[in-house]
Amino acid sequence: MDHEQAAEMFSDFVDGTLAARDKSALEQHLAACIQCRTELESFRRAVGSLGKLKQPAPPRFLPDIQRQIYERSRGRFFGRRWKVFGRIPFEWVSLATIIAMLIYYIAMLHGTPGGVKPAP
Amino acid sequence: MEGTLRLARLRARRGPYLVSVTERLLIGRLKERDEQAFNEIVRLYGDKVFSLVYRMIGSRAEAEDIAQEVFVTVFKTIDGFRGEAKFSTWLLRIAANQSKNRIKYLARRATDPEGLDEGAEAAASSHGAPLAGRIEGPDVLIEAAELDGLLQRAIAALDEDQRLLVVLRDVEEMSYQEIGEITSLPEGTIKSRLHRARMAIKESLDRHTR
Repeated sequence: MDHEQAAEMFSDFVDGTLAARDKSALEQHLAACIQCRTELESFRRAVGSLGKLKQPAPPRFLPDIQRQIYERSRGRFFGRRWKVFGRIPFEWVSLATIIAMLIYYIAMLHGTPGGVKPAP
Repeated sequence: MEGTLRLARLRARRGPYLVSVTERLLIGRLKERDEQAFNEIVRLYGDKVFSLVYRMIGSRAEAEDIAQEVFVTVFKTIDGFRGEAKFSTWLLRIAANQSKNRIKYLARRATDPEGLDEGAEAAASSHGAPLAGRIEGPDVLIEAAELDGLLQRAIAALDEDQRLLVVLRDVEEMSYQEIGEITSLPEGTIKSRLHRARMAIKESLDRHTR
């Protein structure tokens, strides 16, 4: 293994995702190569330092968003919307229509057998 | 109610990818335009979104603007959220896309000297850094702030895709699976790009610390 091949494995090594055989080969190389040991240490330090960069949102973050939303919607964003303009339950409306038509059809079929009597 | 909200906060701290009944209820309330649910979503995810955007852009003012815009977009488009992805994935994808778009926009403005301002220049330039990193005078700089500045400069020197991977993996400490869900990239691609980005950051730090 040369320096370049060793360096290619640094990420997986640091993440703990390196395959057992590659890990063993890298460890053997590191035991004999001070240059790669130094490089790995520097790599580990750089990656580790990135974990300290988390940045909390500023304290006025929520009020600022609330203000923006109120301004953009002129105060109409929040609050329950009128359901008529919400989602119409088409499947239920269709089912109700079919049932109503069926009832009407059956009523027409059986309800008025001699509806209009012919003139004598 | 307070108990369930506390549970949701706890879960958000442990990791953003745990789908819970509480989260689903919260999203349902958000769809009903419940202001309390809106505030709770910002409290739960505000830090994560801000941190992601800030480290991607490198300018606090720009980051505040984008992070606010992310939440406004989320609330405007929440009806389109069908739960196919986890809410946090969906939210962070919006944050990532808006950050990448802003980086491109600022880079375009940086080439136009007429429309350039100091903040945009810092964020768009490959040497853009947060204020702490740009203050001159070693006597006022503490070591942590110096390192923060160096790291931010190193991140800003990466392209936007590499920046995103470094921030998601090494700053926000997300798993490769979570990163794959946000970026829609296969794990192999994420790993190889991330490795190149980490090596570039290491080289940059080495140059400044030797």
